Amino acid sequence: MQAGIIDFLQSLADGVLFGTTYAIIGIGFTLIFGVMHKLNLSFAAASIGGAYLSLALLAVWRAPSLVLLATSAAGGAALGVLVFLSCFRFIRADNALAPLMATVGMLLLIDEAIAHLTAGVPLRYPALFPDVMLDVGPMMVRSDLLFVFAIGCVATSLLMWLLYRTRVGIATRAVAQRPVAAALCGIGIGRVNATTFALAGALGGVAGALTGTAVGVLSPLLTLPITVKGLIVTVIGGLGSIPGAILAGLLVGGFENIIQHFRGVSERDLHVMLLLFAFLVFRPGGLFAPPAGRD
Amino acid sequence: MRKTALVLASALAGAVLSVAGAGAQERVVTIPGFGAKSGVLRVFGVNSEAAMKAAAEEINKAGGVTLGDGTKAKLQIEFLDDRCNPEEGISVVRRIASTNAFVAVGPTCSSVAESLFGILQKKVGDATDSGLQFPIISDVAAKGGLARISEWAFRNVPNESDMYKSLLTWIKAKHPELKTVFGGVEKDFAHSNATFGVMKKHASDLGYQLAGEAEWLLADTNFANQVRDMRRVSADIVAISAHPFTTCGVLREMARQKVAPKLMLGLTSSSSLETLQGCAAEAEGIIIPTAFAPVNAEAIKAAGLVAKMGGSADLHSAAAYEIMFILKDVIEAQKVMARADTVVEDRRKMRAGLAALKTTKGLLGPVGRTDEREAIKPFLFVHAKNNAWKVLHDPRS
Repeated sequence: MQAGIIDFLQSLADGVLFGTTYAIIGIGFTLIFGVMHKLNLSFAAASIGGAYLSLALLAVWRAPSLVLLATSAAGGAALGVLVFLSCFRFIRADNALAPLMATVGMLLLIDEAIAHLTAGVPLRYPALFPDVMLDVGPMMVRSDLLFVFAIGCVATSLLMWLLYRTRVGIATRAVAQRPVAAALCGIGIGRVNATTFALAGALGGVAGALTGTAVGVLSPLLTLPITVKGLIVTVIGGLGSIPGAILAGLLVGGFENIIQHFRGVSERDLHVMLLLFAFLVFRPGGLFAPPAGRD
Repeated sequence: MRKTALVLASALAGAVLSVAGAGAQERVVTIPGFGAKSGVLRVFGVNSEAAMKAAAEEINKAGGVTLGDGTKAKLQIEFLDDRCNPEEGISVVRRIASTNAFVAVGPTCSSVAESLFGILQKKVGDATDSGLQFPIISDVAAKGGLARISEWAFRNVPNESDMYKSLLTWIKAKHPELKTVFGGVEKDFAHSNATFGVMKKHASDLGYQLAGEAEWLLADTNFANQVRDMRRVSADIVAISAHPFTTCGVLREMARQKVAPKLMLGLTSSSSLETLQGCAAEAEGIIIPTAFAPVNAEAIKAAGLVAKMGGSADLHSAAAYEIMFILKDVIEAQKVMARADTVVEDRRKMRAGLAALKTTKGLLGPVGRTDEREAIKPFLFVHAKNNAWKVLHDPRS
């Protein structure tokens, strides 16, 4: 009985800690949706792309962990701007479907570019943090996942500060809330959108590096599951809600690990989809919306 | 001015005629290959293509292939991408079959082979079966018994059941103190799943106690639960039937949770460079049976040639290398004409020639052929040691 409880708690802890990466990816999705009211489905692929770019740096210089993390963030930001320019900037704002489909294309393009450059071979990603197990009573906690959790919290706090305490953040929120009024006040919509993509991309780059360090290798195999998890997190958290994305990321991480523990891997994703379905039916606005829904 | 133009025109006409003349003397036979050349399994296609090209170059250097009318032809490889997708694989082969090609080499994935062999005519000469009459010989798709699906399907892949039976028998004799096995499998991959069944069956037949098993998916990244189960039972042997990405994930988690079995076994496909690139330290000691290792002059030469073509020689691509020599022998023995008007007859001849083979030349030694169009390949046991795959034992010795 006691062993069962410990296993349950252990699965929950592992899942919640791993859910940090889902949360960060969810924030990226939600940030862009919040500002532009459009989904960028290539976000997770660009995030993993950023991590791959940091590996390119590692090929020429044995960079310290923080530099690697910063490079991944910069790579993610650059890819974010590229996605903005190719999938959003020159497409009419009232066309909702075209940018969505363009980002699907971009997702496949980035994925395939990685597969071609690496022949699909998984590449070792260096441990950014000490990879040891900490004994917490009868449980074990991965120290690297604790670091991932901490970095995730720091990155999210930085983002919140940027959004709520700086002029860039005010402009971003203004465009998100009333784009026409923001434009009339002299805020450059295009510039703010590009900045949002760069910001979200940088956060995605951090998530990519954290995923790489948590998994130990980078592979194009990562992009699709992370995209799906990111979208689920975004919907469960509430489209456009950053606190919702954080909470939903941790919730999905913990939930899927517990389901895996009790029902096995074959049923795991089925139950995560059921969770999503339940939210769509009973709380379509997500965790941080009134039960009636955001509309 | 007019004189200069006349001279230039004459020179050009001469050049064109000389090229046409050379073309008439030197025939080129295209051997199509197909497999995964995009997506996460791209490396398999890259390696197969490189191996086929390396072998074709060797054959061409030695004069090429002699066709039925006595003319010599050079071999040329055209490799198509099926993205490890059954529908795409069928489409690729239909495209190949609409050309003058009389045989094709592929595919990479067992799931593609399974569907693809299903569209071929099942029994030769069955007038009621309108299935495609086109010989295909597979180099990579490793799931057991696939060639049985059609008499037009052939394989040059090792028999994994024999490999794991031999490996477990050898382990039983060498380490009689090992009693229990824990198995882990990548559940959503046909090859891993089939091989896991093979591992379990032979372990059970040999009297090993199955202490438990864990499952995960090809794109999984978190293996904490599975390894915790592994740690709890503390089995003597851990057998992992998974490809490099998740094999490395599991091995890394095992290191974290300090799970150190007395012996580790891996999937044939993981005895590759990818595993060493991903987790050489954690994979140290893992034992895998393989049908290729650069252990003799011919195998070393083949590995070098494949590397020059931008690939890596492993048990799968080495099979593609061997297939090219098998095809050369069959083309010559069956007097294949390789002409547009003999395509149907050439395909029939190739099928008959491949079906008639009793042995072929392999890089590790003679390869037997079964009545079910499968190969009986020699194999070795290798283990990961100091960032390389080293031969641990040769069952033939």
